[in-house]
Amino acid sequence: MGEAPGGAAIDGAAAPAADHRRKPAASMTGNGDDLRRRYGVPALAVVGAVIGAVVLWLSDGGRDEDTTSTLFSGLVGGLYLLTGSVTHLRRPGRLGLRMVMVGISWFAEDLQVSSYPVPHTVGMFFRCVASGCLVHLLLAFPEGRLRTRTERAVTGGVYVFVLVLVPLGVPFYRSLTPNLLLVANLARMQDLLVDSTQVVFAVIVGALLVRRWFVATPPARRVLAPVYGVGLVGSVASLLHPALTGSTALLINEVAHLATLGLPVAFLAGALRVRLGRTAVGDLLLQLPQMPPTGLRHLLARALGDPTLRIAYPRPDHAGSDAGSTDGYLDADGQPVTPRPDDAVTPVRRGVRVVAVLLHDPALRADRHVLHAVTAAAALELDNQRLAAEVRAQLTEVRASRVRIVAAADEQRRRIERDLHDGAQQQLVTAALILRLARDRLGPAPPDPELGVLLRRAADGLEAAVTELRELARGIHPAVLTEAGLLPALRTLAARSAYPVQVVDGPALPPLPDQVAATAYFVAAEAVTNAAKHARASQIHVHARASGNRLLVTVADDGVGGANMNAGTGLLGLRDRTAALDGSLVVRSLPGAGTSVHAELPLEGS
Amino acid sequence: MTTATTPSAPAAGVPRIVLADDASLFRAALAELLERDGCAIVAQSGNADELLDAVERHRPDLAVVDIRMPPGYHLEGLRAAVRLRRSHPGTGVLLLSQHLEVAHLDELVGHTARGVGYLLKDRVTGPGFLDAVRQVAADGCAFDPEVVPLLVGGRSGRRDELAALSPREREVLALMAQGRSNNAIADELHLTTRTVETHVRGVFQRLALPDEAEHNRRVLAVLAYLRSARRATISASAAADSVDLGRNPAADDRSTASP
Repeated sequence: MGEAPGGAAIDGAAAPAADHRRKPAASMTGNGDDLRRRYGVPALAVVGAVIGAVVLWLSDGGRDEDTTSTLFSGLVGGLYLLTGSVTHLRRPGRLGLRMVMVGISWFAEDLQVSSYPVPHTVGMFFRCVASGCLVHLLLAFPEGRLRTRTERAVTGGVYVFVLVLVPLGVPFYRSLTPNLLLVANLARMQDLLVDSTQVVFAVIVGALLVRRWFVATPPARRVLAPVYGVGLVGSVASLLHPALTGSTALLINEVAHLATLGLPVAFLAGALRVRLGRTAVGDLLLQLPQMPPTGLRHLLARALGDPTLRIAYPRPDHAGSDAGSTDGYLDADGQPVTPRPDDAVTPVRRGVRVVAVLLHDPALRADRHVLHAVTAAAALELDNQRLAAEVRAQLTEVRASRVRIVAAADEQRRRIERDLHDGAQQQLVTAALILRLARDRLGPAPPDPELGVLLRRAADGLEAAVTELRELARGIHPAVLTEAGLLPALRTLAARSAYPVQVVDGPALPPLPDQVAATAYFVAAEAVTNAAKHARASQIHVHARASGNRLLVTVADDGVGGANMNAGTGLLGLRDRTAALDGSLVVRSLPGAGTSVHAELPLEGS
Repeated sequence: MTTATTPSAPAAGVPRIVLADDASLFRAALAELLERDGCAIVAQSGNADELLDAVERHRPDLAVVDIRMPPGYHLEGLRAAVRLRRSHPGTGVLLLSQHLEVAHLDELVGHTARGVGYLLKDRVTGPGFLDAVRQVAADGCAFDPEVVPLLVGGRSGRRDELAALSPREREVLALMAQGRSNNAIADELHLTTRTVETHVRGVFQRLALPDEAEHNRRVLAVLAYLRSARRATISASAAADSVDLGRNPAADDRSTASP
């Protein structure tokens, strides 16, 4: 056999692509690699035909007319070789190879029929080999490779049986033609063993095929139908034949022969009439609606049989431009896509618009119909994904801009606070001081008492203005927040509150980003104000602590509860602000159970 | 702690003062106010570096410092004040600010309330300002009336060393913390000076202050007062102290020039 059962078959799809990648220049130039891939199987079929001719010549004398004639045997083997070659040329893959291997093994099996001792003895080693190849072909049909662990196990078991166990029995089998290696004759026991093993395998394979039929999608069933139909007829005929006699038996025997002859044609029909790709497209169409958004690439990769396939989307400003170039293409996460040197690029269009491009193995171009069908089927979903990617990019931008807006607002507040302190307030204080100097000059008993009163009123007015300005500045942005940090600012907040507010002691906070500290402060300030106004609480607790990568701020009171974030409090605006920093703000307030306002703010990435 | 240049009691001699504020109009008006009251303005500076230079050169009794100064307008005055208190213990520091913060008070006062004051800037127009200037210049202390509720407001009513004081004694102590003399306290509380003196002695006794000169005991009492209020507001002062160390190595180098 050309390949080990099991492992190599799994890699069947990946292998051609990988071979290809090693020689990037090979892409579409049709050099040695391409030639080998395209004409390797037909060449093997020619070799198989030569072997077949030799075998038929060698075994011609030993034929028993009741079973198989030379003509029939040649026809069956030749048909496998021919249909395998055609299948391979029409649809590159492993299926053609599987069929050709059945043809070659068919001839190899016939060698034992020879009446010459040497070919006969050699042929004894191959006497069951065709059934192994046939099981492999059946289970691998129509993709040409085994899909499930069970299939691989069964195929491996059959190969071990026909290639290892049966040959081990050769020295112990006496047949009509002298066996040159004969040591002892255990022919009857061997026949019993081989027959029963074959029955067991037949049952297992039959069960696998039946199960496949029932799980197959309708397009896949259309592919399987010819093979299953012919196979069923052949199996029934073979089973009935021993039980019948006379002309009916002869008729049934002919039917079984015809079915054997028809099987390779059925394989070809299945492969050609409804080609593999269309099954894949059918599966694709059925699976698209249930697919998670991240599964599209995997789905397309499977449908096209190229695990390296990638999807890229045009940049919003490049849509509809030259599809052959990958300049300006992004992946679903918005990252630029760099094509590999041997990538083929297939545009996916809706109308005139290129919604996406597929970067794939150029070998897929050998089957353009499938590629077109797959891209057509996926165009809608790809367009959706492109739009989703665009929305994601916009959302990222909107988030970033929201953070910038918060930062800008904070900066503005800080600047206003400083301008008030260092500008207006400073000048008012200076004016008040000069006024004091003037009043001091007048002395305790001014010549005009009215003037003294006026100057006092002016001084009082200035003092009130300075105090008011100080409170205004504090409300806009407490200077202590930038000067000393969140905890001192919260303590000042507590100290200035007319209500009993306690800042819970805790470990020192890590350095906080300005916006996080400001947001935490404003949340606490608003919550404390609300509690003081509405809660009728006897105690308000403020707790700020860092946990993991987040800052947690809780303001809890023991008041009447029943607060509502949407009832026009400033917390709603602060929830937006918290959300801008990717944080959350939760208000828990049950009547009679107090109110707690809880903010969580991430410390990184804001 | 006191040096020969520092008068040992308020109003003794002419206090020599350095002013530091970047607003020249305000500075000039403040200088006029203090000079009319009998103080000597030995230097004026517009930023922290000039202030440190002037103190180094003139060894004044008092530096009146604005908390925000160039170049950053971000606590430069506070940092300079803290350094001055370490390097020149004989020079009192009166810090003026547009707003009061407990955190800044902690950083400024540290472990001793001698020769230190912290007032709202607009107090310069008030009646107690000149008193406060002389208190701090004479190694005493003066804190803004608003500092006290700020400190007490943050407390949660736990027991402390002030628990033994009667309400009246607390009132007296609070006024002492503002740098008021016994006479001023008597005026404020409508008591006789003798009664106030009795309350002050009561405060000293209850706080178990060592038997020193009354001036020193006043400072210690106020420090105990600030300490007890501060303890409730967090152990941030230690952190603030350690943070302050080495904040401006260049300036620290200069301060080593002091004798």
